[in-house]
Amino acid sequence: MRRERVSRRAFLQTAGAVAALGALPAIGRAQAKEVKLGYILPMTGPLAFEAQLSLNGLQLALDEVNNAGGIKSLEGAKLTLLPGDTQQKVELGNSEAARLIDQGVSALIGPFSSLVAYSVRQVTEKNRTPFMLLAAVADNLTEGGLRYVFRVQPNGKAMSTLTMNNMIEMAKAAGVAIKRVAMMHEDGNFGTTMGNHVESFAGKLGYTLVQRIPYNLKSPDFTAELSKVKAAKPDLLVISGYYGDSKIIAETAAKLRIGVHALVGLANAAYSNPKFIADNRELTDNLFDGNYWHNPQSPRAKAVFDAYQKRFNATLTSHGVQAYTVIGVLRDALERAASTDRDKLRDAIARTNLADHILPQDAIKFDDTGENANASPALLQVQNGRPVVVGPARFAEAKPVFPVPKWHG
Amino acid sequence: MAAEAWAGLALALLLAAPPFLPPYFLEILISVMLFGYLGAAWNILGGYAGQFSFGHAAYFGIGAYTSTLLFLRLGITPWLGMVAGGVLAAAFGLFAGYLSFRYGLRGPYFSLVTLAFAEMLRVVAVNTKAAGSSLGLVIPTRTPAPLDFVFAGKLPYYYVILAMAVGAVWITRRLERSKLGYSLRAIRENEDAAEAAGVDALGMKLRAMAASSFLTALGGTFYAQYFAYIDPTITFGPAVSIQGLLQAIVGGAGTVLGPLLGSFVLTPLSELSRAALRGRAGVDVMVYGLVLMLVISFLPQGLMGALRRRPRPS
Amino acid sequence: MTGDLLLQAAVSGFLLGGVYGLVASGLSLIFGVLRIINFAHGAVMMLGMYAAYWLFTLLGVDPYLCVLITGPAFFALGMVVQRVVIEPNRRAAEHNQLLLTLGLALFLENLALVLWQGDFRTVRPAYAGASFVIGDALVEVPRLVACAGAVVMALALFAFLRLTDVGKAIRALSEEPEGAMLMGIDVRRIRAVAFGIGAGCVAVAGALVTPFFYVAPDVGESFNIMAFVVVVLGGMGNFVGALAGGFIVGLAESLGATLLPGSLKQLVVFALFVLVLLFRPAGLFGGGHGR
Repeated sequence: MRRERVSRRAFLQTAGAVAALGALPAIGRAQAKEVKLGYILPMTGPLAFEAQLSLNGLQLALDEVNNAGGIKSLEGAKLTLLPGDTQQKVELGNSEAARLIDQGVSALIGPFSSLVAYSVRQVTEKNRTPFMLLAAVADNLTEGGLRYVFRVQPNGKAMSTLTMNNMIEMAKAAGVAIKRVAMMHEDGNFGTTMGNHVESFAGKLGYTLVQRIPYNLKSPDFTAELSKVKAAKPDLLVISGYYGDSKIIAETAAKLRIGVHALVGLANAAYSNPKFIADNRELTDNLFDGNYWHNPQSPRAKAVFDAYQKRFNATLTSHGVQAYTVIGVLRDALERAASTDRDKLRDAIARTNLADHILPQDAIKFDDTGENANASPALLQVQNGRPVVVGPARFAEAKPVFPVPKWHG
Repeated sequence: MAAEAWAGLALALLLAAPPFLPPYFLEILISVMLFGYLGAAWNILGGYAGQFSFGHAAYFGIGAYTSTLLFLRLGITPWLGMVAGGVLAAAFGLFAGYLSFRYGLRGPYFSLVTLAFAEMLRVVAVNTKAAGSSLGLVIPTRTPAPLDFVFAGKLPYYYVILAMAVGAVWITRRLERSKLGYSLRAIRENEDAAEAAGVDALGMKLRAMAASSFLTALGGTFYAQYFAYIDPTITFGPAVSIQGLLQAIVGGAGTVLGPLLGSFVLTPLSELSRAALRGRAGVDVMVYGLVLMLVISFLPQGLMGALRRRPRPS
Repeated sequence: MTGDLLLQAAVSGFLLGGVYGLVASGLSLIFGVLRIINFAHGAVMMLGMYAAYWLFTLLGVDPYLCVLITGPAFFALGMVVQRVVIEPNRRAAEHNQLLLTLGLALFLENLALVLWQGDFRTVRPAYAGASFVIGDALVEVPRLVACAGAVVMALALFAFLRLTDVGKAIRALSEEPEGAMLMGIDVRRIRAVAFGIGAGCVAVAGALVTPFFYVAPDVGESFNIMAFVVVVLGGMGNFVGALAGGFIVGLAESLGATLLPGSLKQLVVFALFVLVLLFRPAGLFGGGHGR
């Protein structure tokens, strides 16, 4: 239903623009244009819910820009959003991208699945269309010298190394050295990627990975795995997992008195998930999670949250935050490019230096592979039934509780 | 019109029409051909020999990983890698088959052991870093190189899989009319009686297994080259096993055209239901499961069986 | 150090094994009487877990108590499904019946997805956090209760099969199908009852597991494949064997997790599975329908 509303809105906006063009007398002044942006998301299929959250974020940002007068350097051109549905399939991702490019979008946003992104980025590169990645986490998406791919959110490497660094810094501030780290991760693509990074950066970050255990996420019991972890006497246990498995691990680890200073999620689907926390109050207390988040100190962030709540009657999630930010980056680039030409837009994006955003990081700048050079996950901790940002220090909204007593024997 | 005439007409269409098809339809057609091919390969062991394998993903995965690893690590063209994969898969099939048949596993027990073998290979692949573990293997995009099984556009891939599917059908037809075919049918109907009549059941079943696993592995290589990405779940997961056998059963196990016919019906059906039943996740698969139950209940001989029951003009 | 790890593995493996045993008993019963491998078994367990979740969330019924409701309810539902879906195909080829249950599994799993979406739900009653220690080994109370409940349920099932007329009829049909018919047993009704009992057992197992697990449409998969392994180990149609087999598989899995790196513990279970299938297809304890 919501999807239809969006499409109708996009249609009306376009129709309105066309009608306006026809109605204005020709006075030798450049007419107000529109800037077409396209998105490709898995609007149907298992990720439909998350895709809708992203779309909401895009829509919120878009309307904000348009209501504030559109793109000033293009005489107030309004942004329009053209839809595309990938159903999480590579072939559809490619064909939808091709279709939107044909329809004249200045930039493409999407596509969630890294597998789809890997293929679509060739389509966008061939057609010289800026491709703003959304939710796709695979590191190799920006490899290969492509010029038209950009990613605002932290990639897998940034997520893992910065989270580990944040924990180590935080521990240092509490007078605790992190020398021994254990990691459990689900044995699929997501967990293995995180595990590989945590392992390869061990030396550089000053810890030894004393135990690394990939596990089958469908398993109903992790007691044996956690006993192995306990026997290795780590300072921290890092967990990259999904909802159910992360729950069982936290539960059993607490009962085993696993002896770590803290349990740290790494892009964990559960530990900073408000629903998970609400359902498991006592269990989730003081769990850490390094994850995508917004900047809680930013007054603009608060305004965005309120606007989202008012419009969609729900709390803004990280999906929406990332999508909202992507539009912000595009708006800024369009202003500087003063053109809807894709190449000019691409160059403007590459030169981005945007401080006015709601992410927990410094200015958004892209390196020469298209990654957001300052991308930073937030370090969250569950306190009093809420996930709060406790790091990096300059974005923190609360002091961390560290070490966490309940994990100790 | 006789079945041969229909098949001939269909083949002519399949050869001539695709260059004019919109890309989305061509993609579906390629899927239809691939699943039909896998069904035909499965059919040799499952339909003709009556040994119902639930783990053909094992051979699919061996084919995909062998040719891809040879290509990525040693630069060997997948055309050759394909054959290597097929040989390895056949070897594994003979190993698994020998163990199972020698120890007298039949019916559901055989099905379960094949399922176990496929799952074991999947777990090994997940835990083997040299094969990419869960991150899988990517065939990096590249300029088209037909000698390396890399083409520009989809059409060449289509003709490759069409050729493979037609080849599989032809092999099945030859098999059906051969001594091996008769032996297999006897074994399928009543293995003990066949043995008593002097048929070397073990030897015959192993031959069927070798052929079936070899062909399935070739399909794995095709998949790897066409989609340019493989991982343990895509290749060794139960979905692949089920896809192959479904086409054959629904189309008509133990018939030459059954698997392809089954794929022509099932593949577009799942596409259509996905497109038509957008909105809530899961509705399309729910309908698919329901349709499957109905087809099994009312067309136990599959579509070919239903077609054959129609009275013919004399 | 290793001694501690092995003791822990033994304890937690044993506890989980009890649940595997209960799930497998239902499956074994269905196979013994109906001679079909029920691929939808895990899906029924999943529905049993959703039932426990809704009863807890909407009416505050404790999951352990809700088995008194869900057990009989799923028994009835199982009988209906058997009559409507499976019985008409009774004479179909074995592989067709297999695919039938597969289609049923797909249908049920996605029905849950459509009705309740894919997000995970948890049932966390007050005692979920309770645990104690035996020596150096952790025992989580919810898992202990699940194991005990499973054993009680399985023993009740055996008593039923041994002592009641219906139970004896079921055993007769399982061991000697033609003879049973000649004895005047209403085989159609018995088949429905057997499937119903299987469904009821697995729904109860689901409710027992919810306090320490989670609820989602694909949650049955975790137990489905294990159930097959256990049934083969215990001997298809050997109900006591299924319970014993459950413990063995639970232990094997847990020991595999302790001794092997990575996620290779699954390999141990499958290897055991293949070995038993090849060398003792009648099950470790015999008494099953071999080959």
